[in-house]
Amino acid sequence: MTAAPAPTPQTVTLKIDGRTVTVPKGTNVLEAARQLGIDISYFCYHPGLSAPAVCRQCLVEIKGQPKLAPSCYTPVADNMEVFTANEKVLLARRQMLEFTLVNHPVDCPICDKAGECTLQKLYFDWDSKASRVDVPKVRKPKVVDVGPNIVLDQERCILCTRCIRVCDEVAHSSQLTMALRGDREVLTTAPGQKLDNPYSLNTVDVCPVGALTAKDFRFTMRAWELSMVPSICTGCATGCNDEIQFAAGRIYRLYPRHNPQVNQYWMCDEGRFTYHEIHEGRMGAPTVAGAGAPWEQALGAAAHKLLAPLTHDRARVGVVLSAQASNEDNFALARLAFDGLGLERAYVGGRPPRPERADKILRHADVNPNAAGALAVGRGQLKPMAELSADLERGALRALLILGEELSLTAAGAQAAARLDALVVLACHENELVRAAHVALPLAAWAEIDGTMVNAKHMVQRLRAALPPAGDARPGWHIVSLLGGKLGFNLSWTEPRAVFREMVDKVPLLRDAQWGRTHVPIQLRFAGSRG
Amino acid sequence: MESSSKPLRRVVLGQPVPADLDDEPLPTEPMTINMGPSHPATHGTVRIVLLVDGEFVQDADVQVGFLHRCFEKESEHATYTQVFPYTDRLNYVSPMLNNVGYALAVEKLLGIDQQIPERAQYIRVIVGEMSRITDHLTCNGASAMELGAFTPFLYLMKAREWLYELLEEVSGARLTHSYVRIGGVAADLTAGFADKLRAILLKLREAVRDADALLTKNKIFRLRMDDVGTIDGKTAIAWGWTGPCLRSTGVAYDVRKDHPYLTYDRFDFEVPVGSRGDNFDRYAVRMEEIQQSAKILEQALDQIPAGPILLDDPQIVLPPKREVYNTIEGMINHFKLIIDGIRVPPGEIYSYTEGGNGELGFYIVSDGTGRPYKCRVRPPCFTIVQTLPVLIKGRQIADIVPTFGMLNMIGGECDR
Repeated sequence: MTAAPAPTPQTVTLKIDGRTVTVPKGTNVLEAARQLGIDISYFCYHPGLSAPAVCRQCLVEIKGQPKLAPSCYTPVADNMEVFTANEKVLLARRQMLEFTLVNHPVDCPICDKAGECTLQKLYFDWDSKASRVDVPKVRKPKVVDVGPNIVLDQERCILCTRCIRVCDEVAHSSQLTMALRGDREVLTTAPGQKLDNPYSLNTVDVCPVGALTAKDFRFTMRAWELSMVPSICTGCATGCNDEIQFAAGRIYRLYPRHNPQVNQYWMCDEGRFTYHEIHEGRMGAPTVAGAGAPWEQALGAAAHKLLAPLTHDRARVGVVLSAQASNEDNFALARLAFDGLGLERAYVGGRPPRPERADKILRHADVNPNAAGALAVGRGQLKPMAELSADLERGALRALLILGEELSLTAAGAQAAARLDALVVLACHENELVRAAHVALPLAAWAEIDGTMVNAKHMVQRLRAALPPAGDARPGWHIVSLLGGKLGFNLSWTEPRAVFREMVDKVPLLRDAQWGRTHVPIQLRFAGSRG
Repeated sequence: MESSSKPLRRVVLGQPVPADLDDEPLPTEPMTINMGPSHPATHGTVRIVLLVDGEFVQDADVQVGFLHRCFEKESEHATYTQVFPYTDRLNYVSPMLNNVGYALAVEKLLGIDQQIPERAQYIRVIVGEMSRITDHLTCNGASAMELGAFTPFLYLMKAREWLYELLEEVSGARLTHSYVRIGGVAADLTAGFADKLRAILLKLREAVRDADALLTKNKIFRLRMDDVGTIDGKTAIAWGWTGPCLRSTGVAYDVRKDHPYLTYDRFDFEVPVGSRGDNFDRYAVRMEEIQQSAKILEQALDQIPAGPILLDDPQIVLPPKREVYNTIEGMINHFKLIIDGIRVPPGEIYSYTEGGNGELGFYIVSDGTGRPYKCRVRPPCFTIVQTLPVLIKGRQIADIVPTFGMLNMIGGECDR
């Protein structure tokens, strides 16, 4: 633990379980206890949401108060004395769990939340005793289609209202509510309404039980069998921090990771689904003139194609960096293009902006994760896509070396590109441009590489590899160094970190970037239960 | 070739052999030979690299590890309960003793070792002593067979089979029982178990007596066992010896007597010791321990109370299936115990019991999760086998067989 802050007018000093702690004014007792390493159990509280104190699971005894107080709702006060685990508190905790379980269905074997369920965890941690209530459980609808992405099981719901608060406070779209009273109380949407907002899947994350399950994930995988590496979402320029959760070479879901400066605890639905592109329509092997070829031959063909324009018409050879690719890939290509081949025409590609998706929460209009990074390594020479289309249309280019297949060219520009003397594309997925290319080289995608990206707030964040590259694909910096070798320019990197080191050395904007620590994928069963 | 100053003498057919032929020692030179890893007398897989001068052993290098199965590493990835099958395969001639030793270690770390139901403790003693008998029967029987005595081997194996059958009846498996659980045992003794065991003990005593008579009075057996592989108590302790091998030297150290666990302090039994620390003493100690174990078993059958066989703690013991399928409480307890494992408080423990070969220790470190942070075994025969070179140096190759046999190396336990 770090040294306790000195008491000031803005701080409060109190005693929890006999230990003194100093915290900022306004902190609740639960968070103050957490600073001492004391975990108070709770269902309805969430550090990113308001505290309604409905679950009564976090009750603690405060000296001088006749009743137990909900620690999530009680702000700290000077000289407060809190007991989080005395007999009275433990009894209350057990009794609340007993109540909560009275109507909970025996679903664990078929429940997607099993293994990362807060109810399972708290019951096993604190109670573990048999129920004293022997009445039939109240039956409620088990498969309620509440929205395009989510299914609700009203029997499993423990009425904590976390999901309602996510909709109200995070998505600003009040679509969920409680209806009825007592043991007939249910979570529901208004008649005819759906749980349909861009942040709806956060309700599944915060659900302490398996009441809300994601259609995308349910019945696909046992949570504890998944492995996890921390990475970032590449859906837009926000760069939400996430965990890639995968097993046996397949990603099963992206899960938001707490970062107070970027995405707090949340992530948008669209971002969560970006993992599908890792497994769909991938380029598995290099192609030369549309036919599959081994790497060595394809690299040779690419160099051969580029050599004539490079020798005789260097001013009409262009290179395209990508706002979709990592800094390392872009930097490698910039080194080759500017220092190795002496090119003058450089552009930056990527997906076209989608202003309609932007909101003031997390979603950004720029759907490229690394536009800032590409510009940073582009030495101020990168021209936008519109100019590439224009240059292609007026025949100012003879050859193009392109990183990333997403160019958003005009129709005429695309046709002109197909007629170039040399068109070499490093691509993750197949598309028209890839099919038109003389040589296409398969590129490892974001879940398959270690690297960095720069988000809209100019924060350098780490991508971490969860999977091996699909098929024969290779990371961009590696392809560039191989191609450089064929073109007589030696780039001797052997790992992405070497590219990164050279990059922070040479790119002033990325001077202070950190590579961060290495994460070995950890299986969630060893990470302990969530909740 | 160097030319010899002496002419080569030849024995010519039809002519008398020169009278001084036998007096001339044959020229020898040290030779390195392998005994094992696959050799009829190395039950288990072990390689002994011998430096021999003729028939005499000048030096020996015992190389173990051929049966290494990463017990320690595997255990770190298994829940505490899932480790039991691995312990079965340590000393696979007495798996119950390993089960018990491991369970006691975890229970001490959990702080529940004093709360294990009495009936479960008696059952553990009973199956454990049965396992000890099978262990000694195997060791003595197999060693006798290696010296050519096939009949006693069959007598003893037959007796072992009676015990195996009864253990199978209780646990469901003839050899790899996985019968003990943290908090008790998996199942109660079967109906009529006591009568069956008593009947077996009667027959067993007879079979052991017969085999013993065939061996103890057998000149060949005695010549190869007596005063071979001698060691004194002090040296044996210095090498880390425990169990029957240590007791053969006259040191009466037996964990069951010196640090009683389970209900061993309630039984009247002796700790047999030898006097010379040779192979025959080790044989004799084991034979007598079979009798003593039988005595313990009879007392245990008389004393065993009725009652539960598992601790009543839902955070440690799996709930009955009826509760698992019908109540959410039972379901969650079952789920958490299976998926996350029994949560053992952070700490470390070294717990030791009397295994078939001596002090069987488990050193467990817990980080508070359901899987051991570290789970090390102190295998008794590992420290004993390292002494083999000391015992056979200067003796003949043929002496290795009974000496190695009497050390009772079990590959599964030694190599883990």
